[in-house]
Amino acid sequence: MFKRSLKSALVLGLVVALMATGSVALAAGKTITMMGTWGGQELEAFQKMVAPFEKSTGIKVEFTGTRDLATVLTTRVEAGNPPDVAALPNPGMMKELAAEGRLVDLSKILDMKQAKKDYAPVWLDLGAYKDKLQAIFISADVKSLVWYNPKQFAAKGYKVPRTWDEMTALSDKIAANGGTPWAVGLESGAASGWPGTDWIEDIMLRTAGPEVYDKWVNHDIPWTDAHVKKAFEIFGKIARNEKYLYGGTAGTLSTNFGDSVNALFTNPPRAYLHRQATFIQSFIKQNNPGVAAGKDYTFFALPPIDPKWGTPVLGAADMVAVFRDTPETRAFARYLASAKAQEIWVTSLGKVSANKGVSLNAYKDPLTRQAAEILVNARVFRFDGSDLMPAAVGSGAFWKGILDYVSGQDLDSVLKNIEDAADQAYTSGAATNK
Amino acid sequence: MSNRSHSVSEASNASYKASNLSFNMSQPLVHLVVILMSLAWVLPTLGLLTSSVRPPQAVANSGWWTVFLNPFDFTQFTLANYRQVLGQTGMARGFLNSLAITLPATFLPMLLGAFAAFAFAWLDFPGRKALFIIVVGLLAVPLQISLIPILRLYSRAGLAGTFAAIWLAHTAYGLPFSVYLLRNFFGSLPGELFEAAYIDGASPAAAFFRLALPMSGAALASLGIFQFLWVWNDLLVALIYLGGSSSVAPLTLVLSSLVGSYGQQWHVLTAAAFVTMIVPLAVFFSLQRYFVRGILAGSVKG
Repeated sequence: MFKRSLKSALVLGLVVALMATGSVALAAGKTITMMGTWGGQELEAFQKMVAPFEKSTGIKVEFTGTRDLATVLTTRVEAGNPPDVAALPNPGMMKELAAEGRLVDLSKILDMKQAKKDYAPVWLDLGAYKDKLQAIFISADVKSLVWYNPKQFAAKGYKVPRTWDEMTALSDKIAANGGTPWAVGLESGAASGWPGTDWIEDIMLRTAGPEVYDKWVNHDIPWTDAHVKKAFEIFGKIARNEKYLYGGTAGTLSTNFGDSVNALFTNPPRAYLHRQATFIQSFIKQNNPGVAAGKDYTFFALPPIDPKWGTPVLGAADMVAVFRDTPETRAFARYLASAKAQEIWVTSLGKVSANKGVSLNAYKDPLTRQAAEILVNARVFRFDGSDLMPAAVGSGAFWKGILDYVSGQDLDSVLKNIEDAADQAYTSGAATNK
Repeated sequence: MSNRSHSVSEASNASYKASNLSFNMSQPLVHLVVILMSLAWVLPTLGLLTSSVRPPQAVANSGWWTVFLNPFDFTQFTLANYRQVLGQTGMARGFLNSLAITLPATFLPMLLGAFAAFAFAWLDFPGRKALFIIVVGLLAVPLQISLIPILRLYSRAGLAGTFAAIWLAHTAYGLPFSVYLLRNFFGSLPGELFEAAYIDGASPAAAFFRLALPMSGAALASLGIFQFLWVWNDLLVALIYLGGSSSVAPLTLVLSSLVGSYGQQWHVLTAAAFVTMIVPLAVFFSLQRYFVRGILAGSVKG
């Protein structure tokens, strides 16, 4: 009886396998394989973006999304089996791949005249490594935003703060009125702590300026530096303040970043302010059906601290790099660099485009247009620093340091721990002690 | 022959009864422990099931246990998550691909493992012990360290991105455990049986196919369940060797692409978990009567 079922299962298995391999052979045509971190709505938007390309060229784009992109991509590149094209979540990964000579120089593929017209120099510089254009930006997320509920603000007579001091005064006022000013959520599974790193980066840009920020990211100054310490202390005035936080520090540590914003939409509101990137909109919409962009939620730019540095913008961006130089990937890279493609991509996701060819009128909702304006008008734009640091620091010790600090650990020992990890992880940087 | 296998199973029944008797002494305590442990194991699954039939905003705003405050209010339940998962493009294809990957990748290590295990148990050849120790030692080696070198070989041989690549990989990863489990089971079979067969003129192959295999249904079934679950649930190995183009992507890959890069829409994974569970559960329940006996396979070596 067992033997018979084993036999029939074996036969079934072979039949299925043959069917499957047969259809693989049939499907072989001109295809481009691409890897990235996208899924869900992002994947749908991506398919919408590539549909016109597939239709006009007959080339099929096969996209594989994994949130563990760094591991999978490194493995496949090392093994000599990279995808044709990859969407990289940060320049750090691009630089590592470029340094190993794995990427195709896009300046030979793209119409550089058009590219220079479409992109501000800062974006071409960010995508370059040693004078070669290694990646193009198809969209950006603006991170330096504070979300609030304008209806609640109007009801209580609160005003949008224009400076950090005004923001502190507002927080005090809300607390004095018996409310809770801030909703902060640091939990994000294995990546818990990252929302706090964005705070530190934003504060660094506002107190120390972009040059010191770059030095910090490159480990030319140590973590125990006074600038870094000051940034943590300013963050701590909010994130270690039981009166300021919905759920206190315990709630902040254990609430998921995507859920914490929900506190703004209860009646009465559990909190009034939430600092997060443009992408939080998709969480707001998903978890609070019925709330309307602009009416029930909107944002202001995280205000300046030191007038000298103005209102810098911290951001993240999606970049595309090419591993194999073929006629198909050339056509695809040109298409992705075009305003036409990016318009589809950014408008379906509420992202903003770095391409000047995408007109502000293309943004259907006013909030995204506003974010695009903030991005276009920013005198200083910096990439999320933790994404640029070596993984052991930027996606390890820094995250953990945030959690330790918020849970009450002494700041000097927190910074010392991150500095120790940085000494191990960096191969360059003036502050690196080996 | 059928007589003998009958007596073997009777003997194991007898020892089962004996152990049952001694359990009687402290039955209430045992029951309590068993109930508590089952609860601890089932509770997360129950939470998952409840979450999978709740709308996303409810999942985000209150705990799953809150539905039991008024369990007959059916408006708080929705099948939207299941509709979204099943309506995902590429689901049917992914299901077929998963079967095409899992069935050969389950049977190959079972078959090859059985050959090797039989040789290790009943054939005399120089270096038998040393070889066996090496094979068992491989159990402790994490498969991740082999990803890059093997993929390098595959891309040179033109195998990367094909089903053959992943069958071979899963077979190799599954073999050490398969050999280990089956060798101990084969070793526990009565030696007189094989001696008698050899005296009657049976070749080792005949002894394997006509004696060892038919008596090892239980061990083979439990090995099959382990290997099936491991391959069915695998994401990493498929991602590396297959690359994930829709013509070869298994179910796990299709489902993981439901979630955004920041973890948006994770609530659909609750429904996805139950959809992927169906096949392994069917496999488990259809083979479970072999399972308990099989799991004891290594432990009662005579």
